[in-house]
Amino acid sequence: MEKKDEFYIGYVDAVGEETKRTTKRFVFIAIGVLLLGAFLFGFFQKEAINSAFDFNAPTKVSGTYQEAPYPMLRIKLGDDTFKNVLLLGFGKFGANTYLEDIKQKEGNLNGKHLTIEGNLIYYNGKTLLEIDDGQKISLTDSKTKNYMLPEIMGSHKVSGEIVDPKCYFGVMKPGYGKIHRSCAALCISGGVPPVLVSQSKNAISDYFLLTDLKGNPIHKDILPYIGQPSLLQGEVEKMGGWYTMRIDISQIKKLDKVSSIY
Amino acid sequence: MGLDYTLVLWNKHKKTYDKIIGFGMLLYLLVFIILTLVLNPETTAETMIIRAFGSLAVLMLHIILIIGPLSRLNPQFLPILYNRRHLGVSMFLAALVHGVFSIIQFHTLGNVNPIYAVFTSNMDYGSLTNFPFQVLGFLALLILFFMASTSHDFFLKNLSPKIWKGLHMMVYLAYALIIMHVFLGAFQQETSPFTIGIMVIGFMLITSLHLISALKESKIDGLKSEKADDGWLKVCGADEIPNDRAKIFTVGKERVAIFKYDGKLSAIHNVCKHQGGPLGEGKIVDGCITCPWHGYQYLPQNGQSPPPFTEKVVTYGLRLDEGMIYINPDGFEEGTEVEPVKC
Repeated sequence: MEKKDEFYIGYVDAVGEETKRTTKRFVFIAIGVLLLGAFLFGFFQKEAINSAFDFNAPTKVSGTYQEAPYPMLRIKLGDDTFKNVLLLGFGKFGANTYLEDIKQKEGNLNGKHLTIEGNLIYYNGKTLLEIDDGQKISLTDSKTKNYMLPEIMGSHKVSGEIVDPKCYFGVMKPGYGKIHRSCAALCISGGVPPVLVSQSKNAISDYFLLTDLKGNPIHKDILPYIGQPSLLQGEVEKMGGWYTMRIDISQIKKLDKVSSIY
Repeated sequence: MGLDYTLVLWNKHKKTYDKIIGFGMLLYLLVFIILTLVLNPETTAETMIIRAFGSLAVLMLHIILIIGPLSRLNPQFLPILYNRRHLGVSMFLAALVHGVFSIIQFHTLGNVNPIYAVFTSNMDYGSLTNFPFQVLGFLALLILFFMASTSHDFFLKNLSPKIWKGLHMMVYLAYALIIMHVFLGAFQQETSPFTIGIMVIGFMLITSLHLISALKESKIDGLKSEKADDGWLKVCGADEIPNDRAKIFTVGKERVAIFKYDGKLSAIHNVCKHQGGPLGEGKIVDGCITCPWHGYQYLPQNGQSPPPFTEKVVTYGLRLDEGMIYINPDGFEEGTEVEPVKC
């Protein structure tokens, strides 16, 4: 018997048996490929870290304001226990813009007691506070307190990845690496302090706030080194739970390897 | 075929096609999201959306790109080709969700315009592994946008099929950009051999199917015709062409389809005026040459679409000598009546 000469026309309802069979087979395979893809892309994702960002639950935090090298609040936890909370702005900005109004009104805030309502970001023992409105900062004690001087920890060489702490410690997952690099560059150029996340086994700390050799904030100059494995060296100081490293940016060495901070 | 432009000229097959697209996309998103929530509960909603829609769009693009060569190799795949533009637009929408969420997440709320930031927040254009992969994705999305927004017969007619086809062939550029976007972006950080493997297999499948179908086409172009003294070309025997079907020959630089029907032979230009479909792979239905892609019709004796339609193609003169078909390589004006040759 001669094989039926099937011909498909989209606007004609009838479809030949062979064509119908082939079409069905294609649809089943395509759906199968989608299912397999969903499984592979869903299953083989690197697990996100348990960092947190309380974006819809504002918290009031009170403590002694510390301007340098980056704005922080020194919070009293116990009789002799303190913790520095790093202050950040909304979006991809540092805290300075939000502190301008109160600085104009009250003058130098360094060492004064502030209460700030913001959104907490926290991970691995570090706490940060996002301020989304300058009006949520109030001076609760205008008496200036002497705060502790930083502890000198000597010169250290640490390899790791430079990240923006806002995303890394909770706002984004992942908040590091190649995928996140552009965002980190925008955050740091907007005033968020750069942080080195250590991948050295015996490093003195997991995290280092980076400053220039004089201890001043650095932002735009460090952008080419963000989000990629690098080796940094500098004088390390410890203050309120945060380590800072004074670095010469031109001495940062990019490492030709995959980042292992995650 | 349609005379006026409506958003979608619905029919039974298009409705079924779209239901399957919707079902497939929903199924993918459900499986991906459930797996992510169970295995990776710490992830953020934004990351989950970006990953779900991005990976869905990439897989859909692979499916779209194999439909063309499959249909060229076996006409039984033509029902999948028929409504491919709906699959294309759906894929663009998935890519758009991925792109918009990524731009919002990574590039907004900063000190520069988000689109400017896509191009400038990573300036390592000279490096391969550190290359700003977002730029590649952005350019691909732009191409997909132009394709999706012109994916309608209104634009096909007004841009001219040639320009329209050229624009839509840019899908291959978009595919290349997307492959690089994924390999220089996500795969620099998410390094599972399984996800990388599925992309490599997809690329190999698309490439090999295109090569095989190109080889098939080149065989048609390689069919030699013998030149007679009067300049006409001897192409084949009349009995080599099945009833209501055609055989395609390259005459000069053009492909021509010679149809046999009702004991007659007629020749027309092989390219459909609608989307450039191969008329010679079509069939005589209700006395009309019917394009295999979207069912556009032409009368074999004059290359004109039956009224009220107005499409016309070039016709050719034929003669039969001792069972052999001869064709005049100089075609007539589009739509010229040519007496069919009796065979």
